[in-house]
Amino acid sequence: MESQTGRTVTVPSEREFRDWITRRLAEFLQRPAHTIEADVPFAEYGMDSVAALSLFGDIEEEYELFLEPTVAWDHPTVRALAHYLAQEAARELGTGEGAGA
Amino acid sequence: MLTTAVQEELGVQERIARLEQLLGDPADPANPAGARALLAADERGELLPEAERLLDEFGLNAEFVPRDLGGRLDRVDTLGRVLRGVFRRDASLGLGYGATSFLAAVTVWAAGTAAQRRWTADLLLDGGRLAVAYHELAHGNDFVRNEFRARPAGSGFVLSGTKQVINNVERAEALVLFSRTGQEAGSRSHSVLLVDKSALPPDSIGYLPRYASVGVRGCRLGGVEFTDCPVPQSALVGEVGGGVELALRSFQITRSVVPSMVLGGGDTALRTAVGFALDRRLYNRAVLEIPHVRATLVGAFTDLLISDCLALAATRAVHLLPGQTSVYAAAVKYLLPKLLTEATYDLSIVLGANFYVRGGDYGAFQKHVRDLPMISLGHAGTAACQATIIPQLPRLARRAWSGGAGAPYALFRTRDPLPALRPELLVLASDGDALADSLVGAGETVRELARERAPEYADALGALAGQLEAELATLRAECLAMAPKDRTVLASPRSYALADRYALLLAGAACLGVWRSHRGDEGGFLTEPGWVAAAAARLVRRLGRPLPALPDGWEDRLLDEVLDRYHGPRSYDLYDTPIAG
Repeated sequence: MESQTGRTVTVPSEREFRDWITRRLAEFLQRPAHTIEADVPFAEYGMDSVAALSLFGDIEEEYELFLEPTVAWDHPTVRALAHYLAQEAARELGTGEGAGA
Repeated sequence: MLTTAVQEELGVQERIARLEQLLGDPADPANPAGARALLAADERGELLPEAERLLDEFGLNAEFVPRDLGGRLDRVDTLGRVLRGVFRRDASLGLGYGATSFLAAVTVWAAGTAAQRRWTADLLLDGGRLAVAYHELAHGNDFVRNEFRARPAGSGFVLSGTKQVINNVERAEALVLFSRTGQEAGSRSHSVLLVDKSALPPDSIGYLPRYASVGVRGCRLGGVEFTDCPVPQSALVGEVGGGVELALRSFQITRSVVPSMVLGGGDTALRTAVGFALDRRLYNRAVLEIPHVRATLVGAFTDLLISDCLALAATRAVHLLPGQTSVYAAAVKYLLPKLLTEATYDLSIVLGANFYVRGGDYGAFQKHVRDLPMISLGHAGTAACQATIIPQLPRLARRAWSGGAGAPYALFRTRDPLPALRPELLVLASDGDALADSLVGAGETVRELARERAPEYADALGALAGQLEAELATLRAECLAMAPKDRTVLASPRSYALADRYALLLAGAACLGVWRSHRGDEGGFLTEPGWVAAAAARLVRRLGRPLPALPDGWEDRLLDEVLDRYHGPRSYDLYDTPIAG
């Protein structure tokens, strides 16, 4: 299914979220994506509190998911955040598909 | 019969008048709390005891305590306005006697239990002090190296580690400590503790030697070291792990109000330079007759008005737009010290060699020059404020800056009441930007209003507002295109330039807002076109955009105002307050 803007509105899987967050962090931190580990806290890569707050705006823009600004504080690793986003996406966008992928 | 709003305003005016009367004329050499005595105390590195006694008598601490707890704190804009009188005389006194306690207490007002709020209010109302140690919190990413820990133990915590460069740490009765309570890296591993020093085992707390400082020499900057120091569970303010969030929320209040207080120092710098320009003769004429000197004095006055417009909008936004204050507070804390520093530098040229003299009639000036960077850096330096603004710009560009309802007039009304202060409503990332939105369409609306109020200014004001509007559109396009890597501490210098331009635009919006929202039939200086045109022109020039010609006579009118307020004497800010000298 496609929205009027051409954006795909199927629910992304946890795997897709993980890849997207990793790519986004790699851009943020200016380091190769393969050096970012799924279980290492964002802060250990040098992402400070305030910059982490801006992730929620990126998520909002990319996935139209409206979350608390502190979402990346409360789910502070790639794996934790991807898991949470998949759950939220399934809840907000409908089907439940993708939540456990 | 007087309305509540009028009564409230009269109450504020009476408080300020009483403070002025108590502290007396700074220029009077016989005044025990005058400039001469304050300068001598600064040389000795102490707060002037006579001045502290007068502030005790005034009950300055009550200004920091919410009304419902027995104090006089209703409004953040009023707090800045009242404290200006203290900072106008001596920044060390403003910070060392009082503002430091407010920076600490605000965390308790924001997240404390009823018992903590009561205890803190009683401490302050009894003349006690609080000190606050944010540590590297404002800079965020150094948490990993933060050594100060509060380890959960039994029903409370055990503190160990060192905190450095804390104002009043030794003489304060209580400390607000940002402490690491979790091992994990990130923003949920710190908590705020409110510690009553009298309840600690004596050998578990020790002090580091006092730091010597360039400015605010009267302030006692020290350090503290805890060794396995037990504190009860009841010391916890807010949630375990909630420290960073609480700090960022509290900063929205303190970053808004401290620059507003510090404007008082700018008043003294300008007043000192005006006094010099009137008294001193050079080349057989008064210094004031030199055109460059006149332009410098008018420029500094205009910068003070610009600063106050932005401070007004930011402090009132805490009450009116709590969802948007995060970025305003950072912008005011970033821009005001910068404007004041540059204005002070320009004024120093007027003073010439007298700038270097530490005593005498003009000695207050060099003290202000030394104090300004200290109070500007304080708990939230420029870098920390830029780091708050930059990551928010792309989202604001997407969500705002292209229309919307604009800002409510209440944001700019200097003497109007405000809804109650509710720190819990402040959010960590701005969800809109009514202040910048008010520039959309401003070119036309400002021109229209000027046609009614002052037709000779209609073209100039319309063009200036149009330039600000056009700059916002350019900024929006650039922020929409900002790469993710440019939003972090590793951001390119270009991002910092965007933050700078954004802050200047907010200041421009605030100046136009103040002029627009004070109605012509109310009369008064703020409804005149000259100051707002001069203010907008200074901002448009800083933004590097084309400037229209201003109508003849604008500079003379502002210089008359500067001299009038010198002789009044009345304050160099939006309030035009009668002062003791």
